[in-house]
Amino acid sequence: MEHLQSSPKDRPTILLVENDLSVKKLFSDIFEKEGWNLAVCEDGLDVIQWLNDHDSADLLIIEENASPINGYQIADYIKTELALALPVIITTEEISVVQEARTLAYAEAVLKRPLTAQAIVSQIKSTLTKAVEAAPVKNDYYSLNYLMDLSDGDQQFVKETIALFSTTINLEIRNLKEVLENKDFGRIREIAHGIKPSFEMMENETGRGICNLLNTNATEMEMPKLIEDLSSEFRNINSQLIKDFPELKLA
Amino acid sequence: MKKILVIEDNPMVIKSLEFKLTKDGFDVVIANDGREAMKHLKENEFDLVLTDLMLPFVTGNELISFIKKNTPNLPIIVLSTSTQENIIMDAFNMGVDDFITKPFSPNELSLRVKRLLSKS
Repeated sequence: MEHLQSSPKDRPTILLVENDLSVKKLFSDIFEKEGWNLAVCEDGLDVIQWLNDHDSADLLIIEENASPINGYQIADYIKTELALALPVIITTEEISVVQEARTLAYAEAVLKRPLTAQAIVSQIKSTLTKAVEAAPVKNDYYSLNYLMDLSDGDQQFVKETIALFSTTINLEIRNLKEVLENKDFGRIREIAHGIKPSFEMMENETGRGICNLLNTNATEMEMPKLIEDLSSEFRNINSQLIKDFPELKLA
Repeated sequence: MKKILVIEDNPMVIKSLEFKLTKDGFDVVIANDGREAMKHLKENEFDLVLTDLMLPFVTGNELISFIKKNTPNLPIIVLSTSTQENIIMDAFNMGVDDFITKPFSPNELSLRVKRLLSKS
């Protein structure tokens, strides 16, 4: 999945599907002023064609009622079929809170009509910033590819799962050290078995490998060193997560 | 809406299963251990059970025996890790229907769950 980028781009490329000529003109004026690249697509099919022909875009803004494929269907297709973590803003008429929540199940943000330049600029900037926050620089300790793939790029799910990894593994590493003190080697194997999938989900091969050894082939003599190595690897992952996701306030 | 009981103690696996299965349109009930699972099984009706085998309090095998005795037509998918071949074979001998390796592939999970539910 293409979701790794290092910083917000100075000149993001934004795809637009918009039928109303005056609104199209409004977008065009804003983009010129802000220095953003605008790629106008006729409809959803044109968006898919554009994405097939180009390396990547940074954002798609599409009408809820675009035809022949509506905004929801396109957002879903981009995330599930094309496996792209391309943020999507859906433009709608005035809608209820319930409808808005439904829209946000497909898209990163909603822009309600009548559209104003201020609302458009503010929403685009906010969505682009969030997308970068959820796409940390590639590192040696973890990858979010599995979680992004599983959730079709649902950033809330990914962040909640990262927080869960940090708190639960922190606790289990402490448990491992405690049961090691008590020489409860059977329990060590059980804990390692239990947390192995967590390291796999963060795509950390070292942690997965150590858990596997602790669970299967490690002798009792080898366990203290392996637990120390696992603890150290977790500290590395957690430090990287703290750096990449300061808003999660991980400990 | 089809109702699925997920019995698992790894919080990340639980969260992922709940997310994916709910998105697929199922009603998901979570049990963190075997004892909690027994309680749910006695009080509610389910269309499918997804269970880990290494559970606190009540083992996976005890749970499978309970289900096979009381609701023999309730399909069971075992959530296993790649190092549990013998345990998985035992579970199949007890009558489980399928198994999925953790961490699961999202598409594989959807397919296997839908396939089993379409049979029941």
